[in-house]
Amino acid sequence: MATAPFDIAPAIALLPFASFVIALLAGKYLPKKGAYAGILATGGSLLLSAWTFLAVGGGNTYNQTIYDWTAGVGSNVISLHFGILIDPLAALMLVIVSLVSFLVHVFSLGYMNDEGVEGLARYYSELGLFTGSMLTFVFSDNLLMSFMFFELIGLCSYLLIGFYRTESAASAAKKAFLITRFGDYFFLVGTVGVLATFGTATFAGPNSFPVVAQNVLNGTASVTTFGFAPQTWFTILGLLVLGGVIGKSAQFPLHTWLPDAMEGPTTVSALIHAATMVAAGVYLVARMYGFYALSPTALAVIALIGGFTALFAATMGAVKDDIKRVLAYSTISQYGYMMLALGAGGYVAGVFHLMNHAFFKALLFLGAGSVIVAMAHEQNMWKMGGLKRELPLTYWTFVAGALALAASVPFSGFWSKDEVLYTALTNGLNGHPLLLLGYAMGLLAVPLTGFYTFRMVFLTFHGEPRSEQAKSPHGVGWTIKAPLAVLGILATVTGLFNMSSVAELTNAHIDYLARWLDGSLASTSTAHYGDLLGNFAGYAAAAFSPLASSAISLVLALLGVGVAWWLYNVPEPVEHTEKLGSVKTLLVNNYYQDEYQVWLAEGVTADVARGADKFDQGVIDGIVNGASSVSLFGGNRVQRIQDGVVTNYAALLTLSFIVLLLVVGLAGGWF
Amino acid sequence: MVPANYYLVLSAAVFSIGVFGIMTRRNALMFLMSVELLLNAANLNFVTFSLQYGNTTGQVFSLFVVALAAAEVAVGIGIVLVLYRNFGDIDVDKAMTMRW
Repeated sequence: MATAPFDIAPAIALLPFASFVIALLAGKYLPKKGAYAGILATGGSLLLSAWTFLAVGGGNTYNQTIYDWTAGVGSNVISLHFGILIDPLAALMLVIVSLVSFLVHVFSLGYMNDEGVEGLARYYSELGLFTGSMLTFVFSDNLLMSFMFFELIGLCSYLLIGFYRTESAASAAKKAFLITRFGDYFFLVGTVGVLATFGTATFAGPNSFPVVAQNVLNGTASVTTFGFAPQTWFTILGLLVLGGVIGKSAQFPLHTWLPDAMEGPTTVSALIHAATMVAAGVYLVARMYGFYALSPTALAVIALIGGFTALFAATMGAVKDDIKRVLAYSTISQYGYMMLALGAGGYVAGVFHLMNHAFFKALLFLGAGSVIVAMAHEQNMWKMGGLKRELPLTYWTFVAGALALAASVPFSGFWSKDEVLYTALTNGLNGHPLLLLGYAMGLLAVPLTGFYTFRMVFLTFHGEPRSEQAKSPHGVGWTIKAPLAVLGILATVTGLFNMSSVAELTNAHIDYLARWLDGSLASTSTAHYGDLLGNFAGYAAAAFSPLASSAISLVLALLGVGVAWWLYNVPEPVEHTEKLGSVKTLLVNNYYQDEYQVWLAEGVTADVARGADKFDQGVIDGIVNGASSVSLFGGNRVQRIQDGVVTNYAALLTLSFIVLLLVVGLAGGWF
Repeated sequence: MVPANYYLVLSAAVFSIGVFGIMTRRNALMFLMSVELLLNAANLNFVTFSLQYGNTTGQVFSLFVVALAAAEVAVGIGIVLVLYRNFGDIDVDKAMTMRW
């Protein structure tokens, strides 16, 4: 059944891995330090992904085991294998990841090579490994394989965040690694739980774990649920896996690593935020959506975390001075929207927002990178201003990205954010107050998003230059401009792929993404998820005019943009957020999240660890040392027998023999 | 035919003399001879039972033991020579440097 392009699907991920090896071993001697290898590899991946995408569009899917590593026998074998699953979702994501990665590689030529950064071979090899891991993660067909490449993604982001050899970069990298690892710990336990419960961790197909779980709840199959009701147990498993998602996708309370991750090169931030690291978490929820859809509790948790994170991060983004940090908080907030969508039953809305966000956030980060190049690596927006005259292309593409982020019609972000909120509202109105709470928080974050986005735009590009560098910025080359132009167009138009509100009003079939995701693989199709949500989670959309919902969110978004316009689009802007007083202090300090996590680590965990250490040193080692000292003491006494006098040895031998004889004789009843 | 008992008593006597020699003599050569007595007591037992049960295995074994004893004496004499060279004496109780 394997036909082209599916039989060469592994090459999509293997090409970046090859570029990793080439840049690692020979990068130093290559022109541009291995950049061309990376560009060729990701370009090849992009072409193959596009080919795969077309094939999936033709109605084909691919779900194949590539390599088994448990050669078990019998009927209850737990299957551990590497496999490839390419359904509409995976095909879409493959294209997004390889496209963004390709553009980031091109942009790196201008951002890294032309700026004379040291250690470029290391940079390009890590970039290749990062892309390869993410692509493999995207098409993996089971949870264990996903977990392995999830970890590899985490490792690569650690390496890349710590790319610059400064103390703050090293500490940011360590923080990202530790926090995501904390989440992944739960993911690992969840994976083991899934394997122990179902004996398989495959995502799709008649024997995949979401389908088995569904059959169990329907009463047509049974699995060990370790003493819990099946529904409870599946919720527990789902929430455990969600731990990894919260860490990777930077959801509250494990979001604190993402703003610090800005220590890495801006290109890496673009890659992390748009297509790889952070997207992996949300993608995982979408990947095993058939499992989450069975548990209303897990869905409510996802929606609440998402809605809260969307609002929470938006408030912090509103007061930051560093252009990259504003973008970092916007990322956290936008991933919150995706989680809200998935939790509220909006599978299509979540994936749609994931796609749009990938393009406009990559655009915004690369635009910020272009600004940073022009400003000779100054990132404080208060030292910028007036850059639109010198950087027209960067300005216009950045504004396109900002409009998309702020959800203004007709840019991409509007369509997806609108759909997210609409789904949350309609499903919430039908007896799910928690979803309504998530919707309210998401809605509140909309004007904030508009505000912080355009505060950033106006501070950076409008007004009068506020530093010498801003008066005469560097020019930027085509390697920077070309990716910006491509992404600018994408950020403007991708929303048109799924104008569901228009589709609903006019009955025209223009919700292409929804129909695309409906696909042909039964167990991962939108229709199947819709059934599950209706049957198990009790989700049903209440009637509500899509036009009214869109109007509310659009008005709110424009309100935020308008406030930013009013406050900051002046020749000499001042920091109006100072008027917030102690609230501003709270926001600038990120709600003291870092402080409380440090306190948790130092005040609680360190004490527990100290206690455990004492127990280990005292009790465990005490037992071991006690045993050894008994034998040492005994040996010390017994060795006195060996006094060197041969006659004594002979006497002892004889004596022992006689004693033995007597004992055997007495026991054997000879006397 | 002499009953087996007599041979066994003789064997036990020879064995006891050997043990006595090992435990009381300090001269290394006497020591070696006592070990020979022990081995020959065992040989005597082998041959006795071989005769008693009409099975030649015991005799074969005693031949092995004789060969073994020859080898043992060769090694033993070597040790005695080294002993003499190092301590100027063949008193086994004087060689006490190899203890704990």
